Amino acid sequence: MSSVTVSAAGTAAGLLSRRRIGSAGRRVLSRVLAAVLVLFASATVTFFALHLTPGDPVRAVLGGPTANPSPATIAATIAEFGLDQPLHVQYGLYMSRLASGNLGMSFSQRQPVVDVIAAQVGPTLQLMASSIVVAWLLALASVMATTRRHPLLQGLGSALETISAALPQFWLALVLLAIFAFGLRWFPPQGNQGALSLVLPTLALALPLAGFLAQVTRESLELALDQPFILSARTRGLSDGAVRWRHALRHAVLPGISLSAWAVGSLIGNAVLVEVIFSRQGLGRVLYQAVTRQDMPLTIGVTLLVTLVYILASAAADLIFVLVDPRLKAQHL
Amino acid sequence: MTSPMTLSDALPGRAIASHIRIGRLPPASAVIPCLFLVLLILAAIEPRLFTAANPLAIAPREAFQPPGPAHLFGTDQSGRDIFTRVIYGARQSLLLGVGAVAVSMTLAIALGLIGGLGGRITQRAVGWTLDVLFSFPTLILALLFASHLGNGIGPLIIATGIGNVPGYARMVLGQVVSARHAGYVEAARALGHSPARIIRRHILPNAMRPLIVTVTMGIGQAIVWSSALSFLGLGAKPPAAEWGTMLSMGRDFVQRAWWVTFFPGLFIVLTTLSTTMVGRYLQRRLEGRLP
Amino acid sequence: MMTLNRWRQPARTTSLLASVGLAALGAAILPAFGADEPVKGGTLIYATDREPTCLDPHVDGDMPQVFIAQQYTDSLVSQDKDGNIGPWLAKSWTVSDDGKTYTFKLRDDVKFTNGEKFNAAALKANLDHIKNPATQSSTAGGYIQQYVKTETPDEFTAVVTLSKPYAAFLEVLAQGFLGIEAPGALARPRNENCETPVGTGPFKIIKWDRQSQIVLERNPDYNSAPPTAAHQGPAYLDQVIWKFIPEPSVRFASLASGDVDVIEAVPPESEAEAEQNPDLKLIIADRPGNPTNGAINTTRAPFDDIRVREAFVRSADISSALDSVFFGRYKRAPGPLSAATPFATPDFKSLYDYDPERANALLDEAGWTEKDANGIRQKDGKPLTIHVPIGDFQGPAERSLWEQIQATAIGTGFDVQLEPLGFSEWLDRQATWNYDVIPEYWNTNTADVLRIVLSSEFLGAAGSGGYHQNASGFKNAEFDALVNKALETQDPEARRKLYYDAQKIVASNFLQVLTFPQSTRLGVYKTAKGVRLEPSLSVTTLYDAWVQK
Repeated sequence: MSSVTVSAAGTAAGLLSRRRIGSAGRRVLSRVLAAVLVLFASATVTFFALHLTPGDPVRAVLGGPTANPSPATIAATIAEFGLDQPLHVQYGLYMSRLASGNLGMSFSQRQPVVDVIAAQVGPTLQLMASSIVVAWLLALASVMATTRRHPLLQGLGSALETISAALPQFWLALVLLAIFAFGLRWFPPQGNQGALSLVLPTLALALPLAGFLAQVTRESLELALDQPFILSARTRGLSDGAVRWRHALRHAVLPGISLSAWAVGSLIGNAVLVEVIFSRQGLGRVLYQAVTRQDMPLTIGVTLLVTLVYILASAAADLIFVLVDPRLKAQHL
Repeated sequence: MTSPMTLSDALPGRAIASHIRIGRLPPASAVIPCLFLVLLILAAIEPRLFTAANPLAIAPREAFQPPGPAHLFGTDQSGRDIFTRVIYGARQSLLLGVGAVAVSMTLAIALGLIGGLGGRITQRAVGWTLDVLFSFPTLILALLFASHLGNGIGPLIIATGIGNVPGYARMVLGQVVSARHAGYVEAARALGHSPARIIRRHILPNAMRPLIVTVTMGIGQAIVWSSALSFLGLGAKPPAAEWGTMLSMGRDFVQRAWWVTFFPGLFIVLTTLSTTMVGRYLQRRLEGRLP
Repeated sequence: MMTLNRWRQPARTTSLLASVGLAALGAAILPAFGADEPVKGGTLIYATDREPTCLDPHVDGDMPQVFIAQQYTDSLVSQDKDGNIGPWLAKSWTVSDDGKTYTFKLRDDVKFTNGEKFNAAALKANLDHIKNPATQSSTAGGYIQQYVKTETPDEFTAVVTLSKPYAAFLEVLAQGFLGIEAPGALARPRNENCETPVGTGPFKIIKWDRQSQIVLERNPDYNSAPPTAAHQGPAYLDQVIWKFIPEPSVRFASLASGDVDVIEAVPPESEAEAEQNPDLKLIIADRPGNPTNGAINTTRAPFDDIRVREAFVRSADISSALDSVFFGRYKRAPGPLSAATPFATPDFKSLYDYDPERANALLDEAGWTEKDANGIRQKDGKPLTIHVPIGDFQGPAERSLWEQIQATAIGTGFDVQLEPLGFSEWLDRQATWNYDVIPEYWNTNTADVLRIVLSSEFLGAAGSGGYHQNASGFKNAEFDALVNKALETQDPEARRKLYYDAQKIVASNFLQVLTFPQSTRLGVYKTAKGVRLEPSLSVTTLYDAWVQK
């Protein structure tokens, strides 16, 4: 048993916070340093990946059907974006500006990157947060209600989870729209004003994620329910509910928690589709356009933000992990 | 596009869990999906076993026929028989699913072994690399690579595969680390077995076994993924009968002809469902045989 | 703000939604349908598919920009349905005999919504702004590359000098892309002016919420409506909410339920439904210019051979494809100019008829005689493969159209490879001539579009890796001479003759696979009246519109 918990913790808590004995301060410091390095690396990778992509951003801004820019216009734009400099100079310039906190000007949106992000980050974070919360609620409801119950019930729960996890998000989004927005008219089909407009996009993202979290949690709940400490709890006369909720669940949610941090990053990608379908403001759409238009400052800006969110989410997951896991708690506190 | 990561972290210790469990699922729940997959593989190998029609033959005047005796699943915007296209689509879609998972797993195992078995510094470097990769939204990672690779099913496989590497690599790493410290590895080491042999005979098999479900589920997820890329205007080359692309192409006709998107979607879901159930069953069998 | 989320609320929902309480109010007032007297006041909600990246139409210059510009700017001249040029901000004008000097008499009673006066200096500021490379103008700037300078002998007279005769000058001036903006606003940094441009138009821009909507308000002092308008004086509407709803089915459903009053780009699958729905009305008009087409690359094999080009054009069953993919709503384009373009002729349409027999004969004649196992023709061991880059901006319907072209062309032995690409890569393939056929279109209100998309002047090398407008690589001295002669000709009948001959050359050289004309397709809910299209580019104008809710 112990190997189960410890290695699960080890994996999840990541390589950054192994069970090192050291002052909390040092741990925090090394984490922050690692985070800065990760941010630096992801900016660098994005910079070069975009530059290696065929095509050039000037054409993406000035070109397309019905475009007839004069040579002077093209030259002026190349100079304005700094694309007439050698690549290493561009990189150096960009990085030094970045270091001083200047994310630069978006090529395609004609706005400072900071402004683009500031206008769009709210709805995206809202959508991500509500998706994760709803996904967890659905997953826990399904798992706790059906695991190790009547075989039929268990089969049903498991099947629903597997089906949910297999649903393409945009397909689900269109189906939800057809039923609940156009058919029953319970929810608005588009926009991001008010809590109701959040329901369908949230479900479109949360259902597949819930299926996935539930599968993971179900497996580990089953494992946990077989453990000796559960047997001993039962022999102590604890009710089934108490055993499940107080003892087994605590172990069962650990892997899901560590996966939630990862899910945050994945949700941004999925958000592209959901934001388009529901006409929501958000970073997903911005990021997709930025990549396909080779808008380097904007792509890096959004990627850095996603990286930051991921780092914070990992830290949060680790923290929750420690709080939930009785063993780690004993070690850390 | 949900995650290809599944039970991995959930079950790090499973490989060495000593309890023996008898398959809880009644055999039917393994047999039916198995049968479905067998039929699907047959369709992928020889689609003409199931349909005599041509998946690419257009008949504009027959467009948007609803499902009926003449066209079991109806016809699409070009009057092509959707049942035929779904059958022919099995090859591309399965290839895509299996191929993408193979790409992900190959890279993930390499990273996982290096990270899990290397020294402290290597281990950290790999973890750090994964952190960087993780910070890219999966879709964007795929897009960045897709643009370098050109278009069509091959690049789609690679792009989808690479997009999912961080998730799989994390899992493999976790498994390798836990296997490395397991008693039987210590024992093998004490017996003086060579490191290569220990990796091959002990670490890899034990680390991989819990990933079977992940891998099988990943096949379905990769197909879902390709439909997302198609939604964004990339994806398989037309007129390929590939489920994800068909699903996405039907989007402009969904109010008048729901069947154009419904059936490819149904087969994506059924395939994922079947591979997952078969994967789970296999996993339980394998565990049952462990010492 | 309460009107932003105006979907009707079912009675049974107990509401969290006091925020949208207006819905209940709206439902309480029975809509009186059929009243014809314009009503002052109210808000019209307009939903479109694409969002501009800049609200100033001079910068870049994509279609979404001209749609918004039409609401807040006036143009120097107007253009009616028949292509005739009329006054607008210019009262009258004269053209010098050499066709290089245009003298405009301007209105002296027009003000911009920021209080600045419209005068000759303002016109000069606009033309200079469009021409300035720093403006990054691809469309408007492209149309007045001949512009040299503006002189202002008195406050309301402007003398514009061109480097060459340019008979299409007045036509392009009528386009919203060259809408007149306040000089003080133009003097600000480009990106600031993109956000809050200022015109003399019937509405003014109040706020732009990116990826959501633009809010416009009535210009209460508006006095410069064009002769194409149905009334004079200020607009009827108090406010316009200009929303972005990219997903077609969502946009249409929002219209059908009355959540929005007008939508642009009605999905073809819903048009029949809209016609049957008594609450809805369709306004459909072709746009002038070069219709949606696949430009055939004549600069490399196999399409350097005119016989192969004709064979390809005649292998493609466009009409059947359009009927199935677009539910019979889109018709085949009549020629290299859409029917809405001045001087367009349908006389050469039959050259583009589907004729596989002739296609086969031409290919045999051109030496593509061998066939492989799949029926693909070969010559000297090389297959007859056609590469077609498809951009991510082309939706499923347009892709399906190309799939059908692909499927019919295989019947005569063409192996058509459709290659889905992201926007940048698609542009890269275009710029490097790395295609055999590339889908494109060009919206403009003048037959001079022929010169832009087909004359040797636009073969590229315009910097930045060779972006070129003449995507077929056509190089023909006779054609060049005709379209340039037309620019030196002011007489309409003489121009018509020149453009007729030019269209004949284009058609008989098989340079484009013509599909459907670009069009503006509005769906209008019963609450909105008086919505119309400004004829110059078939662009929505809400100036005459009113709402009855």
